[in-house]
Amino acid sequence: MTTTKSDVLLHTPGHVKHDGHNLTGFIIFLCSESIIFFAFFVGYGVLKLTAPTWYPDGVSGIAVREPLINTIILVSSSFVIYFAERYLHKKNYWGFRIVWLVTMLMGSYFVYGQYIEWSELTFSLSSGVFGSLFYLLTGFHGIHVISGILLMGLMLIRSFIPGNYERGEMGVESVSLFWHFVDVIWIILFVLIYVWQ
Amino acid sequence: MNLKDSINSKVSLILGITFAVFIDLILSKLMANWSYSWLPVQASKAAPYVDNLFAFETGIGTFIFLGCSGVIGWVLLFNRAPKYDESFGEPIEGNIKLEIVWTLVPLFLVIAIAIYSTNVNTTLQNLGEKIKYDSQKELPISLEQKQDSTNTIIDVIARQWNWEFKYPEGFSSSELHIPINKKVYFRLISKDVIHGFYIPAFRLKQDIIPGSIISYSLTPTRKGTYRLRDSMFSGAYFSQNQTNVIVESDDSYQAWIKKTVKKVPVNGLNRAGLLYEKRLEKGDKGWATIPPSPPPLVNDPGDPDSSHEG
Amino acid sequence: MTITNYDERIIKSNHPIPGAPNNWRRFFGFNTDAKVIGIQYIVTALVFLLLGGLLGMLIRGELITPPSDLFDPTVYNGLYTMHGTVMLFLFLFPILSGLTNLLVPPMIGAPDMAFPKLNALAFWLVPVFSIVLLTSFFVPGGPASSGWWSYPPVSIQNPLGHFLNGQMLWIVAIGLSGVSSIIGAINFVTTIIQMRAPGMGFFKMPIFIWTVLAAQILQLLGLPALTGGAIMLFFDLNFGTSFFNPETGGDPVLFQHFFWFYSHPAVYVMVLPVFGIFSELFPAYSRKPLFGYKFVAVASFGITILSLVVWVHHMFYTGTPMWMRNLFMFTTMLIAVPTGVKVFAWIATLWGGNLRLNTPMLFCLGGLFNFIFGGITGVMLATVPIDIHVGNTYFVVAHFHYIIFNTIAFGIFAGIYHWFPKFTGRMFYEGLGKVHFALTFIGATLNWLPLHWAGLLGMPRRVASYDPEFAIWNVIASIGAFLLGVASIPFILNMVSSWSRGKKAPPNPWNAIGLEWLLPSPPPHENFEDDIPTVLNEPYNYGLNKPFVLDEEFYISKALNDS
Repeated sequence: MTTTKSDVLLHTPGHVKHDGHNLTGFIIFLCSESIIFFAFFVGYGVLKLTAPTWYPDGVSGIAVREPLINTIILVSSSFVIYFAERYLHKKNYWGFRIVWLVTMLMGSYFVYGQYIEWSELTFSLSSGVFGSLFYLLTGFHGIHVISGILLMGLMLIRSFIPGNYERGEMGVESVSLFWHFVDVIWIILFVLIYVWQ
Repeated sequence: MNLKDSINSKVSLILGITFAVFIDLILSKLMANWSYSWLPVQASKAAPYVDNLFAFETGIGTFIFLGCSGVIGWVLLFNRAPKYDESFGEPIEGNIKLEIVWTLVPLFLVIAIAIYSTNVNTTLQNLGEKIKYDSQKELPISLEQKQDSTNTIIDVIARQWNWEFKYPEGFSSSELHIPINKKVYFRLISKDVIHGFYIPAFRLKQDIIPGSIISYSLTPTRKGTYRLRDSMFSGAYFSQNQTNVIVESDDSYQAWIKKTVKKVPVNGLNRAGLLYEKRLEKGDKGWATIPPSPPPLVNDPGDPDSSHEG
Repeated sequence: MTITNYDERIIKSNHPIPGAPNNWRRFFGFNTDAKVIGIQYIVTALVFLLLGGLLGMLIRGELITPPSDLFDPTVYNGLYTMHGTVMLFLFLFPILSGLTNLLVPPMIGAPDMAFPKLNALAFWLVPVFSIVLLTSFFVPGGPASSGWWSYPPVSIQNPLGHFLNGQMLWIVAIGLSGVSSIIGAINFVTTIIQMRAPGMGFFKMPIFIWTVLAAQILQLLGLPALTGGAIMLFFDLNFGTSFFNPETGGDPVLFQHFFWFYSHPAVYVMVLPVFGIFSELFPAYSRKPLFGYKFVAVASFGITILSLVVWVHHMFYTGTPMWMRNLFMFTTMLIAVPTGVKVFAWIATLWGGNLRLNTPMLFCLGGLFNFIFGGITGVMLATVPIDIHVGNTYFVVAHFHYIIFNTIAFGIFAGIYHWFPKFTGRMFYEGLGKVHFALTFIGATLNWLPLHWAGLLGMPRRVASYDPEFAIWNVIASIGAFLLGVASIPFILNMVSSWSRGKKAPPNPWNAIGLEWLLPSPPPHENFEDDIPTVLNEPYNYGLNKPFVLDEEFYISKALNDS
């Protein structure tokens, strides 16, 4: 059944703006990533509740103070990154770059703090159930923090390219979302490992 | 079509369907009855319950299978298009009532089967506690201390790749002897990897998890020799990890105990070990395997060549 | 065929140029066109089907006699482990990704996938992890040999103690396969959600798109659990950690939970697209609308949601408590309901139809017939007391091969034949197709039907040798397996000769309804390019007075003109 309407109305142009999809794709990716962590959390919980021996010999717990400081810095950095995004949205590019850099520094401090904590521990990856889980969870999380910092570095470099934000700020939004994700994961990790002892 | 013809065709359709359903029911019942012969001999208290449930599901399954295949077969016979004919079939998009029926009827059927099966599960309750222990430390002593001493508790020790049965009277055997019509308790223990404690004639299977002791029980109801097979893949010579289960009268069982306690311990049944030695003689060709565990020292190494039923 | 008198740009072009002969080189490089990627996936996967099939025939060669007389048992264990792994990760998942790549953009009127470069990356990971997996045959100690499940502690025993061992390579390969699949899933879900043609609401999509969406969501939700478990297994194997190692306090059953939390939904990931294929082909070859489209569409998501809560049915006898067994028995049996909805809908679609029994339809009919049988044995396996008897026996092997091969592979063959003209631009040889079907159906039935009885009588699975009472079933099964090997010959002959010299295919050789059939065969680079039709109704209106798209005549004549 042919109608006599003009061709312009019937036939739709095909070239879709691919940029519109990146954020959706990234959010879907994050949902998937969170399930790996979720699997690790479940493993931690189950083994903590049912393993015949939890701590390795000579260990009866871990210090909470320094990790707590690290946690506060990491969580605060989520607020800082939010402000960086606000600057970008208002097109205050230098404001964005400086606050973004501060976020990166806070993230780097967190990684440094983790490294210090690791070097002072008396047990290793192969020290039984607790050792295995501790290093797996904090290590995997640490890789994500480092990746986040590297991605932020990439966004920082790109901010110097003229015309970078003409088609939207999807890159910065995605990395920011990733950073919040890394934060939430850490909060859960902190409760599981340091609070629930 | 006039009214008389349309009533006629409706009536013949209903008669046809009723006849087909009737034949389907008869064939399903026959299949259900036949299904008992597909299973090994029934040698435990659990077996009839399992077999009845299986026959029930075979009957229902046959009914559904024949019904669906019958319709498909009918369509294949009578609805084929002539060679270059691409004309449309009947333009029916759906029928909400029918769709609801074929959603709800299977739902109720499935719930009914689940309830029946849950009842059978409860009847078959033979899995006791599963206690985890630290394998660096000693095996904790008897799980079932709350049971009274008249009950037999046999330790079933699975290794890569042999079985050992330790009796409370202080001896061990490569074959499992149990008295008929008495509930017997086991502690299932693995010294290395996951094994499966599977006796087809009893319709019972329980994996043996290293690092845990699982208490298990069963009641044999038929005399004879049956096969115990390792059912969970446990490595290179997994297929060789089999032995016999001998169900005998209580007198015969007690006599066997008296005789075996006095015997000098020898190497138990360990086919895997023999095969591995042959492999080494031929130059250790093949892919990697850990060496088999040494055979357990048992008082009764059994008779591996004796025949078994089921 | 000389192409020396054509412009370099045509020879090197990444996509077909109208009027010029097709540049076959584009199938061998990093190409972002979903239609090229789809073919790359499918051909790669079919090569691995042959490899997996060869491994299968070696297995059946060993099992035709009771004693372990063909190979050393360690070799047998490696062979069956690799048979399962190759078939699942190198054949099934890639070929389904391939069909999905080919079909999704044209079916929804999109020019390509949402992330074309990621799409190509997802494909190129396949040869990478395939090489990783296959080199494990050549490392000292041989390949992974603890079954495709790799249950610890047996999988972490590492007899030779090397860091580079077959099991470790297996874990790396599976991990990379997971990355490839997750990338693919992100791509498919984004494409389907965001790039449909105007007018194509969810309830106007083809059922194949529904099932792909359902399957890819399952991949996203389930795969990471397997990845997590695999990472922990890797650490246990090579770094001495204690996740699953009971000697140092770990829990081997925990691995089973991680493994099956993904691997059960994985079987639905495999079967859902095939349900989609059945839903597309039955209406086309019965010349009737799909019966109960809305119920069938929604049932896809019913299956998705339920499949996430049934995984413990693989662990009924591993020491799970009774309440857990009862709960998961119930949820597993519930899946029969939405699956039954689909089966009845297909049968109702056939009823009163005008059936065309060509090769694709024969494979669909065979697949449906086998699926009914396989589904019934599935309900038996869901029943705890029965599963306790037949679990880990050949009854399970028979059941899952009935689903994986006799249903899913049949459906894949049906899809390949049905859409072959569309994407290659050639018709296949129908006679050879029918021979392929006959040999495959007979071979598959002989191979797996008898093994149900072997299992019921107590023959365990994964054994290299067995008690003599099981011999008869195994002999029949092995004959069936060799027949299946022979069946691959007409298939390969057909694919190769049809693609190179088959008759040129019209845009719509089957007179089917669907956006892909409104395109030339093969479709141009960006499918509808600038001219996407507006969809009015779902594509099943055979014989109904419901138009499919606005101005359909325009697209039909455009497709014929551009051919």
